[in-house]
Amino acid sequence: MRLTRLPPEIRPVLENGIPAAMVTCSADGTPNTTIISQVYYVDETHAALSFQFFSKTIRNVRENPRAFVCLADLSGHASWVLQLEFQRSETEGVIFDTMEMHIEAIASMTGMSGIFKLRAADIYRVLSVEKLPYPMWTGASSDDQSSTSA
Amino acid sequence: MTNPPQAHEDPSELVRKTTEFQILQRVSADINSTLDLDEICDVALRTMDELFEFHHANILLLEPDGQTLKVVASRGYENQATGGRVQIGTGVIGVVAQKRKMLRVNNLGQQRAYAAAQRRETMKSGLQASVGEAVPVPGLANAESQIAIPLLIRDELIGVFSIESPVPLTFGDHERDLVSIVANQIASAIHNARLYEDRRRAAAALQEANASLEARVAERTAALERELRVAQALLSEARSRVEGPLLGDSTAVRALRDAIARQALSTDPLLLIGPPGSGKEAVAHAVHGTSGRTGAFIFVSCSELQTQHRHAAADATASRRPDTFLLASKLELASSGTVFLDAVHELSTELQRSLYEMMVSNDPPGTARESRLGDVRVIASTTRDLREPVAGDFLPLIRLLASNRVNVPRLVDRRDDILALVDYFVRRHARQIGKVIDGVSPDSMRRLEVYAWPGNIRELRTVLERAVLLSRSTVLEIDDELLDEGFAVGSYRLVSLLGSGGMGEVWLAKHRLLARPAAVKLIRHDVTSGAAREQLVRRFQREAQVTASLRSPHTVQLYDFGVNDGGSFYYVMEFLDGLDLHRIVTRFGPQPAERVVMFLRQACRSLAEAHEHGLVHRDIKPANLFVTRLGTEYDHLKVLDFGVVKESGDDATSLTNPDMAQGTPAFMAPEFVLADRLIDGRADLYSLACTACWVLTAQTLFEASTPAQMLLHHAQTRPLPPSQRSELPIPKQLEAILMKCLEKDPANRPHSALELESELTGVRFAEAWTMKRAREWWEAHSPDDVR
Repeated sequence: MRLTRLPPEIRPVLENGIPAAMVTCSADGTPNTTIISQVYYVDETHAALSFQFFSKTIRNVRENPRAFVCLADLSGHASWVLQLEFQRSETEGVIFDTMEMHIEAIASMTGMSGIFKLRAADIYRVLSVEKLPYPMWTGASSDDQSSTSA
Repeated sequence: MTNPPQAHEDPSELVRKTTEFQILQRVSADINSTLDLDEICDVALRTMDELFEFHHANILLLEPDGQTLKVVASRGYENQATGGRVQIGTGVIGVVAQKRKMLRVNNLGQQRAYAAAQRRETMKSGLQASVGEAVPVPGLANAESQIAIPLLIRDELIGVFSIESPVPLTFGDHERDLVSIVANQIASAIHNARLYEDRRRAAAALQEANASLEARVAERTAALERELRVAQALLSEARSRVEGPLLGDSTAVRALRDAIARQALSTDPLLLIGPPGSGKEAVAHAVHGTSGRTGAFIFVSCSELQTQHRHAAADATASRRPDTFLLASKLELASSGTVFLDAVHELSTELQRSLYEMMVSNDPPGTARESRLGDVRVIASTTRDLREPVAGDFLPLIRLLASNRVNVPRLVDRRDDILALVDYFVRRHARQIGKVIDGVSPDSMRRLEVYAWPGNIRELRTVLERAVLLSRSTVLEIDDELLDEGFAVGSYRLVSLLGSGGMGEVWLAKHRLLARPAAVKLIRHDVTSGAAREQLVRRFQREAQVTASLRSPHTVQLYDFGVNDGGSFYYVMEFLDGLDLHRIVTRFGPQPAERVVMFLRQACRSLAEAHEHGLVHRDIKPANLFVTRLGTEYDHLKVLDFGVVKESGDDATSLTNPDMAQGTPAFMAPEFVLADRLIDGRADLYSLACTACWVLTAQTLFEASTPAQMLLHHAQTRPLPPSQRSELPIPKQLEAILMKCLEKDPANRPHSALELESELTGVRFAEAWTMKRAREWWEAHSPDDVR
């Protein structure tokens, strides 16, 4: 079932801390997959992703605003696929501050303050939401320096 | 937990919310009912238990360095986190403190695992330099969910409140809101508790400071008291040298203090001469105090000593003379010190001799040189000048004492000191009787400053002590009544000094009840004690009674007489407005002969009556012929000063020195010089002629540089007629009469005052001296003197 809004039941999935897979595509059609730690809930029609260090992904999104994010719902034994469209990048404001605090709290405890830095909060419009009744596994592309294979 | 409230909630949800509300209400009451930080934390943490049924919470407060948070209360941890510290900016709590915003994390374990994986990858990729050390933070090691809320007071961070759970996704929006409410309560309560604690500490510090200050004040006060005692001792020591009567800055008292300073360096006997009450004892004290003599200051009343002497003389059985024994005892007591012989002139000749022997030999009499005295400074006082010895004086002692003398001035001669003296006596007496006196009113002060003070400083002190005693105000008022109490003779109060001379002083006085003005003459005498004095008193009384019996309108009227407290005889006479002939001539020059004759005739009438009573004036001179106005009569002359009158032919003890010529040398008859002649009224006629010549010429009959020369001229030299020494016309007839009066031999003079008056009546003038001329003269020359 495809939805055009983020349902309430997806919020625990967004905050469950399980890295998600994000798929983008360059202007010439070359795809790229990367792992992101968290998708932030903005409202029913928007989600935010942290712009930290995955430069290939960012470059792709700037060239082609469409992206897919796959979320693992371990407690529900399901997967969620979000089709998103990049709208804007914020470097201040409530969304940016909240995301930055999250990242900095974790980074400061793990000695990663110098690396985990929120450069911007990228706001995406939700184009579709689809819940899949099975877990889905993803891998990261090799050309993304900072992405990590899971 | 994250679901928004529904419009139609189920009953269990309502129960839950009601319970939460009640819990929040109670926590609000509990948390604000105490100012103890531990209790506040306990309430806050217990509330978390009740609300969420979990057991992990921390309260952290900002350390004074502003960079660190310290766990002050902790609940539910296996290892108590209390005392643990978090750097600002580190971990959830540190970031919340840094951003001052609440942070809710529901996937902490996953986030940390992800970050740890990133860290490993970063390390593998050779970027170790950019990776820091992992920093442990106090709290639950396996925490998955956490809400940290900054505790803010007016946007100022005071700490962080944090709750944790090992279960992911524990805290939703509802929990966040509840924790925010509790956190606000915590912040407010902690702030109040801190304010209270600050004030308590401030109060304690203040109390401690007060105690310290009190201790310092007490210490300082004790030190000041010590300094004050030292200062008072120094002041007392200083004042002992300028005590009471010696205060002031007048020329007289400065000279006196200089004399004291000089005398303090000497050990010679010292004689203090001054009127009664002038402060001679204080001067003696000052000399002793300044001298540095280590012995005592011994006061000896010579009057008392003399009384004992008389009693001892009557007691033939006395084995030892108590008077000399007492004197010797006093001198022994004064060893290395000073003996002060008050009123030394009161001592009999015998005692004077004893004293002299002691002073010269420095041994007490009757001790057979068994105990030699140490050095004793002898200071004696007297009210008369011992340089002029009288009968009964032991001359060696007098000469010894008089060789080193200091005159103590009268109070009227140092009026400038009255202010300082008043201040001193008032303060001293007020302190003695426990009264508070701020000072003397300006009117009273003026009254004190112009008053005559015949009793000198003693009278001033008495008046002030009485005023202080009677005063009901802090400002002293001294009226005339109090001054009346000060010094009086008989029924008269002395007001001001009119003049003084060799015989004594003349004072303006007022009758206490009648307020009638009068002139009081205080007469010094030379016989001071014993039978001679008693004889003198009797004689003075008899002479005064005779004088008082004189009725001539040209004789000054005698109201009263007696002996005052100071031992002086006094006459109270009518007070006259006008001028004596001495002043008239001194101020206005020689007078016309017709006026002089009129004066002489009036004087003759006065003398005639006195001579008829057997009294000789003995001191007729211009100053004793007083010209006044009697009703409408101008130039009314009165003969003054019968104080030295003497019965004719009597040469016994008189009020003046019997061995000295009496009267004033320029106007004295030869018979005063030539002792072989008896003195009768014709001596007064000689003096009257001398006076007439002086008024006519403004020159004395003879010119002489010394009194003795003058007396010799009277005895031997024939005077020049006044017409030869005056440019004013002098009728020959008048001149002949005067020259007759100036005969050396009384037998060649007019036989009586009445005869002389008769002869003067026959003198003719071109223009008579009339009442009209007299009035015009007074109006032109001295209208104020004949009101």
